[in-house]
Amino acid sequence: MKRRLLALLLAGVTVCSLTACGGSTSGNNNESADASAEDGTTQMSIALRGGVYADVIKECLPAFEEEHNVTIDVQELSEEDLHTSVALNATSAQGAYDLCMVDGSWMAEFTNAGVLANLSELGYELDDDIIEATTSICYVDDNAYLAPYYGNVTVLMMNKANVEEAGYTVDTVDSLADILDICQKAQASGKKGFIYRGDSQNNLVVDFLPILLSYGGWVVDENNQPTVNSEAFVNAMNYYMELIATGEAQVKDDLVASVDSGAATMGIAWPGWYTPTADSAADYIALSGKATDDAQAYNANVYGIWCLGIPSNSQNKELAAELLTYLMDPEVQYGTVASGGVPCRYSSLQDEEVLAEYPQYEVVCQALESGVYRPVISQWTEFYTTLGSEMDNIINGAKTVEEGLNDAQAALEELMAE
Amino acid sequence: MMGRKKAKGAELQTKRFSAAMITPTVIILAVMTAYPLIFTLVYSFTDYNLLGALNSAPEVVGVKNYLDLLTDSYFQQSVWNTVKFTLLTVILEMVIGFALALFVNSLRKGQKIMRTLLLLPYLLPTVTVALIWRMMLSPNYGIVNQVLEAWHLPVYNWFSDIHTAFGMLVLIDVWQCAPFVFLLLYAALQSVPQDQYEAARMDGAGSLKILFYVTIPNIKSSLALCALLRTIDSFRLFDKVNLLTGGGPANSTATITQYLYNYGIKTFDFGLGSAGAIVMTVIVLLLSSLYIKRAIK
Repeated sequence: MKRRLLALLLAGVTVCSLTACGGSTSGNNNESADASAEDGTTQMSIALRGGVYADVIKECLPAFEEEHNVTIDVQELSEEDLHTSVALNATSAQGAYDLCMVDGSWMAEFTNAGVLANLSELGYELDDDIIEATTSICYVDDNAYLAPYYGNVTVLMMNKANVEEAGYTVDTVDSLADILDICQKAQASGKKGFIYRGDSQNNLVVDFLPILLSYGGWVVDENNQPTVNSEAFVNAMNYYMELIATGEAQVKDDLVASVDSGAATMGIAWPGWYTPTADSAADYIALSGKATDDAQAYNANVYGIWCLGIPSNSQNKELAAELLTYLMDPEVQYGTVASGGVPCRYSSLQDEEVLAEYPQYEVVCQALESGVYRPVISQWTEFYTTLGSEMDNIINGAKTVEEGLNDAQAALEELMAE
Repeated sequence: MMGRKKAKGAELQTKRFSAAMITPTVIILAVMTAYPLIFTLVYSFTDYNLLGALNSAPEVVGVKNYLDLLTDSYFQQSVWNTVKFTLLTVILEMVIGFALALFVNSLRKGQKIMRTLLLLPYLLPTVTVALIWRMMLSPNYGIVNQVLEAWHLPVYNWFSDIHTAFGMLVLIDVWQCAPFVFLLLYAALQSVPQDQYEAARMDGAGSLKILFYVTIPNIKSSLALCALLRTIDSFRLFDKVNLLTGGGPANSTATITQYLYNYGIKTFDFGLGSAGAIVMTVIVLLLSSLYIKRAIK
C-alpha cells in the first residue's frame, strides 16, 4: 500500500513537472528581453564573441544607448558557448538576444533552422564599401541574413629575426617551400620552426586549411561531398607533417608569445591576436597560395569573420536593425580601428591615416579580398570534429596519412549521406 | 485497551510526521532527477537534434544511437580512458589522502595549520587549477620546463605529447582531489577510540599491525564512502580535459564526457548525447552498486 502510494506520488510529481515544462507554447518570458523597463528605457541584449571582437562593439554602444534611450546588456562568450547559446536561444518563442555575433561557418545550420531574421526585410542592406568576397555567405536567395563585422582572416605570423637569419625577409616569403625552408633552418639553429594549435579539432583543421588551399585542395567538392583523401589533400598533409615536425603544438597564447620572443619562427594566426608595429619582433603576411615558387597561386586565406545577425525571435527587431545599421556604419567602424577593430571595409583598411599607423592592414585587406569561407554546410561542426580527430591521429603517429584520411573520408561520406 | 489505542495513534502520528518530512525531498528528487533521467532515456531512442527539431519533430530511431556509440572506436577509447583514469586517480588519491591523514593525525602540534594548507588545492575552482597547471607546464614559459632545462633534463610539451598528456591529467586531479580524501579520512581517524590503540600497544603490536588491525577496520566505512565518491567524481571528469587537452592528442585523454560534448552537445545531436549519458550512468551505477547495496542493507 505504502509502495503504491509512493509510486503514485512520484508519478504524479513527474507528470506535473512534465506538464509544467512542456505546457507553454508561447515560450519563455525572458526578462532580459523585456522590451520596456519601468522608466521607459528599452532593454536589449546582445551576444558577442569575447575578446577584442566584443571590446570594439562595447566601445560604440554608449552613443547608441543615449540616442535611442536603450540599455544594452552585452554577453561575452567563447566561440563554442556563443554557438550553443544562440542555438538554445532559438528554441524559445521569445528570444533573449536582439543581436548576435555569428561565425560564417554556422550560417548554413542557422539559416536552415530559421535562427536568423531576414535583414533585407528589416530594411538593412550591405553596401558597396564592404569587401565583396566577405559577403558571399551573407545571402540566401538574395536576402541578407548576416553582415560581416570583424575581418578575421588567417595570416602567417612570423618572427622577423628568425626569418632574416634564414636568409629571407618577411616580404620575400613567397611559397610553402620557402616557409618549410625557413622553419627547417630555424630548427637546425636550435629554435622551433612552425607552431600549430593542437588543442581542439577545430583549431587543427583551421590551421591546416590555408596549406590545403595552397595545394589546390579543399575539404568538399562543389556538391558538398567530402574530398579529404584527394591527391591534393594527401600532398598537403604530407607537407604539413614535414612542416610541423620543425616545431610543436601549442595553445594560442603560447604560439603568439613564442613567435614574438623568437623561441619559435612562425604559425598560422588571426589579426586580432597580435598588432605588429615597425619595432615589433613579429609581423604577419597573407599567404601567397603557392606550394612552390613556380606553382599556381590559389586563394589560401581562410575567413574567420565575425558577422552580425538578428535572431528571428528577437523582441526588438526594428531597434536591433537600427543597432546593426549603426554598428556597420563606415564611420563608426573606422572609429574602432584604433582599438583593434578590423572592419571588412575599404574605407577603413585603405585609409591613408590608418595605413600610416597600422601598415599591417594592407596585408589584412589583401587577405580579405582573396579569402575563402569554410564550407557552408549545416553539418560543419560534425565535419570538422571528425576530420580534426583523424588529423590528430595522423599527427601523433596513431595512423598513417593514407589510413587517417581514408577513415575520415569514409566517416564524412556517411555523415553527409545522413 | 485504551493504552494500546493510544500507542497505535502515536505510532501513526510519527509515521505521518516522517512522511511529511521526506515528501519535499521526494518531490525535489523526482523533479530534479527522475524527470531529466526519463527525458534523457526517451531522447536516447530518437534522432533529436536541437536545431533540427525547430523544423521537424524528432523521430524514434530505436537503438540506433546505442549501436552507433558502442561501435564507434572513439567512444570505445573514451570509455577505456575514463576507466583507466578513474582507477589510477582513485587508487593514488586514496593512498596519498590516507597517508596524509595518518601523518597529520599523528602530529602533536600544528594539526590545524597542516589541515588548512593541505586543503588549499581542493578549495580552488577547477578552472583556476587548470590555468595554474597550464602556465606551470607551458612549453614556452612554464617553470617546470625551465627547472628541467636548468638541470639538463629532457623537457616535454606536456599537454600535446601523446606520452605525457594523460599522465599530466592524472597528476593534476590527484593534486587537487587527494586533499578531499585526506579531509574525510582525517575526520574518521579522529573518531577511532584511543583505548584500542593503547590496548594494541600493550599487547606489543607494531605500527603496521595497529594500522591494519585497529585503524583500518575502524574507518573502513569512511574509506568505502571516499572511494565511492571519488570514483563517481573521477568518472565524470570533463572540465580539466576540456580546458587542457580537449581530448587530444590523438584521443589519448578523451573521456566519456568529453566525447559526449564533442559529438553530442557541440553538434546539438542530443539523441546521441542522451544515449551516451545513459551508458555512462549505467557504468557508474555498476561501479558504485557494491557500495549502494551495502548502504541499503
